[in-house]
Amino acid sequence: MTNSMNNVEFISNLVENSYKIVKKEVVDQYQVSFVVEKEDVHSLLSFLKTNGWKQLSYLSAIDWIDDNKFELVYIVFNWDKPVYIQIRTLIDRDNPVMNSILPVFPGCKYYEREAHEFFGIKFPGNPDFEKQLILENWDDMPPLRKDFDPRAYSDSKFAKREYTEDFVNLNGQKSKQKERELQKENIIKVRNGGKK
Amino acid sequence: MLSTKFTVMTKEDVDRKWWEIGDFFRRNSLWMLMYCTGCCAIELPPAMTSAYDMERLGMGPMATPRQADILLVSGYLSLKTLRRLIYTYEQMSEPKYVVGLGSCTINGGIYHDSHAVINQLNQYIPVDVYVAGCMPNTEAVMNGFVDLMGLIKTKKANGWKDYHERNEWYKANQKFALGEVKIHDEFHE
Repeated sequence: MTNSMNNVEFISNLVENSYKIVKKEVVDQYQVSFVVEKEDVHSLLSFLKTNGWKQLSYLSAIDWIDDNKFELVYIVFNWDKPVYIQIRTLIDRDNPVMNSILPVFPGCKYYEREAHEFFGIKFPGNPDFEKQLILENWDDMPPLRKDFDPRAYSDSKFAKREYTEDFVNLNGQKSKQKERELQKENIIKVRNGGKK
Repeated sequence: MLSTKFTVMTKEDVDRKWWEIGDFFRRNSLWMLMYCTGCCAIELPPAMTSAYDMERLGMGPMATPRQADILLVSGYLSLKTLRRLIYTYEQMSEPKYVVGLGSCTINGGIYHDSHAVINQLNQYIPVDVYVAGCMPNTEAVMNGFVDLMGLIKTKKANGWKDYHERNEWYKANQKFALGEVKIHDEFHE
């Protein structure tokens, strides 16, 4: 286990022999990423679980709005071999449904709720996926979709402070802006050893 | 026989006197509930400890809202936090004062366009003193506390009275931003 690159090669051989990999990417000696078909995710994850990658570190989604796709990322972790494996899959953006991996990794329960809350992806198989987790009483489209405009939402919902004037000169003081700029130049000069 | 002329004070006068006496002791012994929501909370350790020593002003930290005088809101407030903050504020015994630290409580600061963070704190609860800055340095924080003492002395720290008088307005704002103020928490229900 001393040479970590061997671990990446080991896991690449292991996965590529049994599953159809759309795209493989070795991020570094501790991370490897596989893009697979949507149908293969469950069997691949349980296969990895039996081979030691028994902890689901994270599950989240990426919104590729130009391709009209959501990319789901499952990151699994092994306590013996120092390699994180990312399993990625693309699902349809208009009707985002992905079967839950609750039978394989029970810990995915909250990650799936989070993904539903922030991206609107449905996870049939997980009884709680529609419950709110982080946002409370959310009343708009899921906020991490790229076509959601947070500024427009903030403007419509939260009162903004209005400033009638940008700057108020209370007792007719002279502007010290020029002095400040000179001072700043001097400081830079001194810092650079007399050069500008 | 000499005697001091004795005039009967009206009830208003007596009340005012007692409030003045109360305010004198109150402003010299302020207990503060620190609601450390954001990054401005990092200015509090130097304010509390030997560097600036808050205790020389007679201020101390308090762990529970019911025994605290000041609610110190340090930093941005998400909607989720604001719900808990309103709960906390309404639990505090009167008179109560609110100090807002940082530009996030004033106008949203760097989170002004976030979907989750409110922009003005004084729309939802009354604020007596704002300390501007992102983040304000510790001198400014201490100065804010001294300002608050001055406001109590001159009877201008009336945020808690305002919360009674314009309660409908505050409640309407809270309802508009939060939908419902009541907290539904699946882990405690």
